[in-house]
Amino acid sequence: MSTTPARVHLDGVTKRFADVTALEQVDLDVADGEFIALLGPSGCGKTTLLRIVAGFERPTAGRVVLGGDDVTTTPAHRRPVNMVFQRPTLFPHLDVAGNVAFGPRISRLHRDEIRRSVDEALALVRLDGYQHRRSHELSGGQMQRVALARAIVNRPQVLLLDEPLSALDLKIRLEMEVELRRLHREIGGTFIYVTHDQREALALSDRVVVFNEGRIEQVGTPNEVYREPRSPFVARFVGDANVLPVEVRNDGTVTIGEARVPVTASGTAGAAWLVLRPEVVRVEPVDGGDGVRGVVHDVSFRGTGHSYRIAVPGLAEPLKAEVPGVTDHHALGTDVSVRWDPAASRVLPRSGGD
Amino acid sequence: MRADGTRVRSPVTTTILVTSIVFLFAPLAVVVLFSFNDGGSVTLPFRGFTLGWYREILSSTEFRSAVTNSAIVATVVALATLVLGTLAAYGITRARSRLRPFVAVLLFLPLTLPGLFLGLSLLVVFSGTEISLSLTTVAVAHLVYVLPYYLLISVAALQRLDPALEEVGADLGGNAWLVFRRVTLPQIWPILLSAALLAFLLSFDEFIITFFVIGPQSTLPLFIFSSLRRTVDPSINAISSSLLFVTIVVFAVSFALTVRSARSGRISVEPDVVGVDA
Repeated sequence: MSTTPARVHLDGVTKRFADVTALEQVDLDVADGEFIALLGPSGCGKTTLLRIVAGFERPTAGRVVLGGDDVTTTPAHRRPVNMVFQRPTLFPHLDVAGNVAFGPRISRLHRDEIRRSVDEALALVRLDGYQHRRSHELSGGQMQRVALARAIVNRPQVLLLDEPLSALDLKIRLEMEVELRRLHREIGGTFIYVTHDQREALALSDRVVVFNEGRIEQVGTPNEVYREPRSPFVARFVGDANVLPVEVRNDGTVTIGEARVPVTASGTAGAAWLVLRPEVVRVEPVDGGDGVRGVVHDVSFRGTGHSYRIAVPGLAEPLKAEVPGVTDHHALGTDVSVRWDPAASRVLPRSGGD
Repeated sequence: MRADGTRVRSPVTTTILVTSIVFLFAPLAVVVLFSFNDGGSVTLPFRGFTLGWYREILSSTEFRSAVTNSAIVATVVALATLVLGTLAAYGITRARSRLRPFVAVLLFLPLTLPGLFLGLSLLVVFSGTEISLSLTTVAVAHLVYVLPYYLLISVAALQRLDPALEEVGADLGGNAWLVFRRVTLPQIWPILLSAALLAFLLSFDEFIITFFVIGPQSTLPLFIFSSLRRTVDPSINAISSSLLFVTIVVFAVSFALTVRSARSGRISVEPDVVGVDA
């Protein structure tokens, strides 16, 4: 990533609204052709950042550089970026072709050229033949495809997507995810995708930027962010996780319930968070071994396996466990032994305030 | 409303409703009816149908010039309101200036002033600056008077417009003027036109302010007033009916524009009144 120059370079971007700080010193480089997801809970500043890149908001401090040009003070209409909004906002007075042709018409292209690029863009979003439909004749998914075509027809340097699937039904949303990945491959553009849905972010993007309270918590590939969360916030927000407060001893073990279990902390003793993904937790019959003892508090069938909640004495919350396979099923109230591979767990430092 | 959705009809409310409607519209009906009365009196009995009174007023040059003057003033006022009012409404709803709320209050203020006061103060301005009174001063005065009404409607229309549409327009490369022409205006033009027609009507039958600031010419309302002072003659019914007719036609066009706007999925300012789901 260091070899190609950044398509988008954000340098200390800060945004304050009256007395609220929406973004605090955000630095981020997006490489050419990259599909990057800005992930975070609502109100974390991710949409504000997208609107700053689009030019709808001006940062209180910091710089926005697009393809080497500082565009911090450039108005939205002169930026080589296009945005797809959360709600499908088609111009109601124009048909599908008119909507898609809006940008090309401003560029004063020749009429045949406009028609050709509109047809191309509609073919890319698989809406060829819909040129003369009106927005009220389209489904939500189709409207959002038109909005996509309307944005990509201008061949933007960066395509900005502000939770474009959140207003759609689950089934359409999953179809559109496949479409977005295909579209990204076919046009090879740079995509910045804002979402609060961690599943969507992991499934779609090359890199995920996790936001919390106006700051970047972690940047990494979906795999890194999921497997090596750098903070309890990321661990809890990306995927499901058991985040347990523990005291690491000098020999690298911790006490959970009545059991003493090894963790992979490299000699760092003291207060820590132990992050355990539910799918690494094994639930076994009690055998007198060294597992953590608990009682099945809740069990539900998930098709591919069972979801457990195991009450462990001394833990405030029951442990979550996802166990694949349909044969070994522990009934509610059964005493069980819980184990995991220490290499699959993760220990994060914990300061007193956490 | 009852559980099955029908309204409970009370004889009391029905009576009040019918009485009110009769009270509101009976005088109008009487005036229109007697404008066709073949007889010299403005009251009962009705002696038979004639178009004589209309023929008589149409042959009067005073009447014709009063109607022409009113039409010219109202047209000028409506056009000026359409342009200035739309700009003002756009500023009130879109400007980022801190002065925005103060300017908005100032622009709406004439709405609260009595016509008498407006007329008098404008007369003071015109005579103080030695501008001679004419149809031009009437048009200027009417502009001050109708602009707030136009603003009420056009500001509401602009506020109802989804701001994301204008952002999309800017995002796709349109500057503010292009976005206004190709995104904003196509959504709201029927409402702006309907509001301009209302401005036409307000100007067309305005009396009090006109009375203060008019020069040697006359407008239709002033002509009616001066006719009444001379004799009460049935031709006054024909004159008033003409005014009513113009009002109804212009209002119907204005109303139709609003309904059409709501039906075509554009924003509408008063969908509930129109009875159409936007």
